Amino acid sequence: MEMDSLPNGNSAAASPPQNPTPAAAGGMTPFPKLTQLTEALKLEHQFLRVPFEHYKKTIRTDHRAVEKEITSVISNVADVSDSENFSKDDAVNHLTSLVSRLQGLKRKLEEGSRTEHLQAQKCRARLNHLESADAENLAEWNNTRVKRILVDYMLRMSYYETAEKLAESSNIQDLVDIEVFQEAKKVIDALQNKEVAPALAWCSDNKSRLKKSKSKFEFQLRLQEFIELVRGENNLRAITYARKYLAPWGATHMKELQRVMATLAFKSNTECTTYKALFEPKQWDFLVDQFKQEFCKLYGMTLEPLLNIYLQAGLSALNTPYCYEDDCTKEDPLSQESFRKLASPLPYSKQHHSKLVCYITKELMDTENPPQVLPNGYVYSTKALEEMAKKNNGKITCPRTGLVCNYSDLVKAYIS
Amino acid sequence: MELNDIKDAFDRVAKKQKLSCSKTQEVIDLIVQEIEKALETVKSASHLDDKYVLTELKRRLQDIAPLGQLEGTQKELNIALSKYTKILEKSFNPDISKAYRNIEFDTHTVNQIIASHFYRQGLFEVGDCFISETKESECSAAILSIFEDMYQILEAMKSGNLEPALKWAAANSDKLTQNGSDLQLKLHSLQFVEILRKGSREEALKYARANLAPFASNHVNEIQKLMACLIWARKLESCPYPQLVSQTNWVTVAEELTRQFCNLVGQSYESPLSVTIAAGVQALPPLLKFMTVMAGKKQEWQSMKQLPVPVELDKEFQFHSIFVCPVSKEQTSDDNPPMIMSCGHVLCRQSINKMSKNHSRTFKCPYCPSDIDAAQCRQLYF
Repeated sequence: MEMDSLPNGNSAAASPPQNPTPAAAGGMTPFPKLTQLTEALKLEHQFLRVPFEHYKKTIRTDHRAVEKEITSVISNVADVSDSENFSKDDAVNHLTSLVSRLQGLKRKLEEGSRTEHLQAQKCRARLNHLESADAENLAEWNNTRVKRILVDYMLRMSYYETAEKLAESSNIQDLVDIEVFQEAKKVIDALQNKEVAPALAWCSDNKSRLKKSKSKFEFQLRLQEFIELVRGENNLRAITYARKYLAPWGATHMKELQRVMATLAFKSNTECTTYKALFEPKQWDFLVDQFKQEFCKLYGMTLEPLLNIYLQAGLSALNTPYCYEDDCTKEDPLSQESFRKLASPLPYSKQHHSKLVCYITKELMDTENPPQVLPNGYVYSTKALEEMAKKNNGKITCPRTGLVCNYSDLVKAYIS
Repeated sequence: MELNDIKDAFDRVAKKQKLSCSKTQEVIDLIVQEIEKALETVKSASHLDDKYVLTELKRRLQDIAPLGQLEGTQKELNIALSKYTKILEKSFNPDISKAYRNIEFDTHTVNQIIASHFYRQGLFEVGDCFISETKESECSAAILSIFEDMYQILEAMKSGNLEPALKWAAANSDKLTQNGSDLQLKLHSLQFVEILRKGSREEALKYARANLAPFASNHVNEIQKLMACLIWARKLESCPYPQLVSQTNWVTVAEELTRQFCNLVGQSYESPLSVTIAAGVQALPPLLKFMTVMAGKKQEWQSMKQLPVPVELDKEFQFHSIFVCPVSKEQTSDDNPPMIMSCGHVLCRQSINKMSKNHSRTFKCPYCPSDIDAAQCRQLYF
């Protein structure tokens, strides 16, 4: 620790103390403000990543469709040329149909490239939005960020209507991922209606990527379908189903497979807890949660809503024992019951430097506005006390204890 | 952060995508051409040649190898795509949930907070929609009606009508004065200047007599200046007190009204949700940095009672006095309060006890040459 020595006595009272580590002054200079903004922008990975993943997905799907169609046309030509007897008309018809098929493909391709173009624009809009953040419009930009975070929360919680309304009323459609979540909505709605087909279709659409992340979501869907067959007492069909769809997972997930197969021996009204759980309707909620996780992973989103992440960090940083005292200022979010409830499992903040806030003006007491001590030990800012003395002929009244003293009785406190 | 590099990387992706798109079109056209050519021949030639034409077409298509032609551009596109993903990961924090504790927030509480936020920001329609979609009860009805009143006043002000604002200020005049706010006078001044702007000197004077006079005792100066403006009626822009007649006063007075309104109804001026999120944005970078360094200690993180790293927030987030003893580096508490020494420097009680060997001797202040007697140190209350 650095130990600056100060001259003692009256001269010390006149000159401001030299802080060994200037803490409060840091925020004033423009440079830290800029680094702060850069740090804040670095948190926006998902903001750029999600529209890009969407764009990439469209490119891939379109390309796969082209490959498939061309391969099929070529093999079609090969088939015809290899076949022995066909009439002239057959040949003409066949070739004409191939031509119109290719023309259809071209149309589809044009449509696809329009979508791709829109999605690319969205990616650019986001880059521009990040670039637009600077000192002048920061308040407005931060306000938009709150809205973006809220839309993200709405979408993840399936409050689609509010999400759309908020995005529309603030004109931030390009900055939120409503389209991406529409794809999820279909699957979630179906799962809530106890239908697995859309979820399975989604799995096959994203087969290679799910496989790469070793996802077992498809397996879980298959298990649920099997359970439903057992519930309906279609045991034979269940066995056929298991052979076809469950057996391939045997190598990696034998335990779960065995457990589910055992339900054939029990009925859906079994009281045996291990198997009873499998028949619970909340298994479907579990599948919804599971799907949401897979979906977020695929698009490079955080698994938690952004709101929860920011709230948790913010509450931890604001959380001090003083927030829970009766005279906590209402500007502190933690003066509110609801925020206190959210913060209760979170840690207190930690500070390495003193930060004193004047009880009267709520302003920071630093070298420019140093703290002064009343004879009873209560501390207020110079600004507040000067003002009070000016209004009351040099008399000071302590707002917390009622003690009256002269301005000349005050002593400056040095906080390092 | 170099956003330009990222933009360049994205431009490359878009370019390669266009290239691959036009190449695909080209290849399809080529196939169509070949087939059409064959079609022509089949139509014109005799039956015997058909087989030959089709085999020839098959051979031609194999020669063209359309998929092979696409491979090149596709590969370049793939490279650009994966490069962009990489640059995003490098330039940004790829996982901001790294410092997240696995605790569920109570959805009901969060939704209540959000609903209040919408109402207090004046987004009433969005708020109503949210309430009906989440099926939250009308706990936020109280806050709704409070802020509906406020936004009615503000909306009226926006359209140049000060009546509701004046009415509210008059009704709360005592409380406003108690808070040291001269909002009422400010509103009357706005109205006065507006009448002048419209050009009626007489009416302005009448208004001033009725409404400004009561403030004369405390605001002589300002009222004098306002009166002087009477001379510049119809040409207020050349008035020597531009700050009095400026249109931006409408904005600042509206702000002051919002502040006072919130204060009187017991609400904070800023939305607590916005404040917390803004604090979160500042707190996350140091927390994420800590988690990267302490990758192995995820378990401890979940149960810590205090953040493991100091998180410095801007002064607008400083609501409470925190005193950290410069000797022990610990935050003071009721059991270990801050004490001021005779020289004016402040330490915590434990440090003073330690340095004075439990009041058995005097010691030198760590910040100045004074000798300190522990018995003379006084407790401070911030």
